[in-house]
Amino acid sequence: MPSAGPAVETNSKGPRLAVCVEDLSKDYALGDERVVALANVSLNIEKGVFLALAGPSGSGKSTLLNMIGCIDTPSRGRVFINGQDVSGRTPDQLAGLRARTIGFVFQTFNLFPVLTAEENVEYPLHHVDEIGRRERRERVRHFLHVVGLTNYARHRPNQLSGGQRQRVAIARALVAHPEIVLADEPTANLDHRTGRNILRLMRRINRETKVTFIFSTHDPQVIRMADRRVDLEDGQIVRLGVRARSDWRYAFDRARDGDDA
Amino acid sequence: MRFAAIVDSAMLNFALRNLFRHTGRTALTMAAIVAGVVGLMLSGGFVRDIFAKLGESIIHSQSGHLQVSRAGFQENGSRRPEHYLIGDPARLEARIAAVPGVADVMARISFSGLLNNGRSDVAIVGEGIEPAKETRLGTSLSIIAGRRLRADDATGAMLGDGVASTLKVAPGDRVTLMLATEGGALNTLDLDVVGVFRTFSKDYDARAVKIPIAAAQEVLNTAGASTMVVSLARTQDTASIAATLGSTLAGQGLEVWTWEALNDFYAKTVKLYERQFGVLRAIILVMVLLSVANSVNMSLFERVPEFGTMRALGDPASYIVRLVLVECVLLGVIGATVGVGIGSLLSAIISYFGIAMPPPPNSDVGYTAQIALVPGIVAGAFAVGVVATGLAGIPSALRAVRMPVVDALRQAI
Repeated sequence: MPSAGPAVETNSKGPRLAVCVEDLSKDYALGDERVVALANVSLNIEKGVFLALAGPSGSGKSTLLNMIGCIDTPSRGRVFINGQDVSGRTPDQLAGLRARTIGFVFQTFNLFPVLTAEENVEYPLHHVDEIGRRERRERVRHFLHVVGLTNYARHRPNQLSGGQRQRVAIARALVAHPEIVLADEPTANLDHRTGRNILRLMRRINRETKVTFIFSTHDPQVIRMADRRVDLEDGQIVRLGVRARSDWRYAFDRARDGDDA
Repeated sequence: MRFAAIVDSAMLNFALRNLFRHTGRTALTMAAIVAGVVGLMLSGGFVRDIFAKLGESIIHSQSGHLQVSRAGFQENGSRRPEHYLIGDPARLEARIAAVPGVADVMARISFSGLLNNGRSDVAIVGEGIEPAKETRLGTSLSIIAGRRLRADDATGAMLGDGVASTLKVAPGDRVTLMLATEGGALNTLDLDVVGVFRTFSKDYDARAVKIPIAAAQEVLNTAGASTMVVSLARTQDTASIAATLGSTLAGQGLEVWTWEALNDFYAKTVKLYERQFGVLRAIILVMVLLSVANSVNMSLFERVPEFGTMRALGDPASYIVRLVLVECVLLGVIGATVGVGIGSLLSAIISYFGIAMPPPPNSDVGYTAQIALVPGIVAGAFAVGVVATGLAGIPSALRAVRMPVVDALRQAI
């Protein structure tokens, strides 16, 4: 369960925590004004959780997600990934950390248009020398199967629907076996039904693989699908650790709706 | 670092696909590279053809490929050529002719004096020559009236265009040559004008007279020669055969001069044209650079979110810079290859028809220029195409990786 407050005992919490955010602030200049995107946010996220960052536009959820994903730097405060402080690392060290530990799912899918679905899924593996060609192919095939796109492996992104593209993006996020998958508004560019199916798919993968999923959304129906939620407003956490949906409720919903994502 | 460590097959594959993602834009960029490469090949080949034609003209109308003479003759012999005579030209000729690559060896004897037509005199610089051999060498000598000297012309003379017009004489007229012998006595020789010639050099034609070497030796009262003119089978062997002859004739008070050393103005002309061509090459390089940079910039700017995605997925900045450079170099290689193909075709077509050129400065003889396909120029043009395109990508690539990942990703929304 996520908890507020600074990570006092980082080492002791490290093994349990996927992410620990400590007194995190982000502000930036907009003309003459100073805009505060995040203000003194502290948050612990346990491993294996399926967590929603909820809040209206401009509440700071994407900024927080970017800090956790090490693609933005805080003005103050620290971020711990698997108990390790990421502050002070070089861009290349952070790139290495992301490659090994974090998978990304973007609102706009961000697939490479010149690559096929399977090549897009394979892309994060091209820096991982220890994975041979055969295992690489097997992983790609496996994750395309997981997201239900085995028959679309040779299709380019422009030959796929929005939902299919997002599924390719999910497979790409998982292929390097990351411990954390970050999804920034993963359903924002999809119709409601497709969005719900994508969330169900992510939820199922979370249950089966115990990979930590953290996603941002402002859609109440999508938020209900998470089993943990953190609410942000004006760059601050206003509600924390709410159990969005009980496990029995999840099982019920799953049985009712089926896993048709 | 191994090449494979810099560029792997996945990167090459990715780069090639990125290149042809917008075929229209790629074609436009390539057109700029092709135009640059073709421009360099044609201008470079044209200039090189001028050099080659000028060089061959000098060799075959005046100096031959090499000249062997007594030490000091080339610097000081024009005033007192009789002091620098080679005593036994036939023996020296045999030694030179034995060197591989030498096609012909001929003796010349230089003199200066006055030529008289019965009414007026003109100061001339004359040469006694071996007519048959000079005919073989002098393929660039234009006979504008009469004919060349023949071996049986005992007292024949060929006059430079300027000499003939100053004295108002033509083939069939008689002239008298007056000169000082080695001993200082004044001597004269009546000559029959058999022809009037024209070379590339107007100055030379205004003072040049050629008579048979036997007649010159008789009037100068000597059996010697001023210089041995060497004709080679191939002009490009000039330097190596000059070195061989230099060592063969070392210690005998003789010097070997190449045609380039004998004709200072040629080196100056080449230097002038090379400088002009260098400026032209720099301008073309900048033009290619600017047009390619513009196109590459536009294309890379659109891909900023993609670079953000790549970095979010764990690609280090260096990988993205390498990818962009590989794309640019590939574009450069393809464009330059097409450019070399089109340039070669155009060179062949232009050379087939030829370009009628007016007489160069200090000359009355025009010529037909062609485009020389020289490996060095082709390689240089190819390199300019590739390097300019590679350089064009560097600023865009660096800008792409300097942008924070989150800002790059934001541009996708």
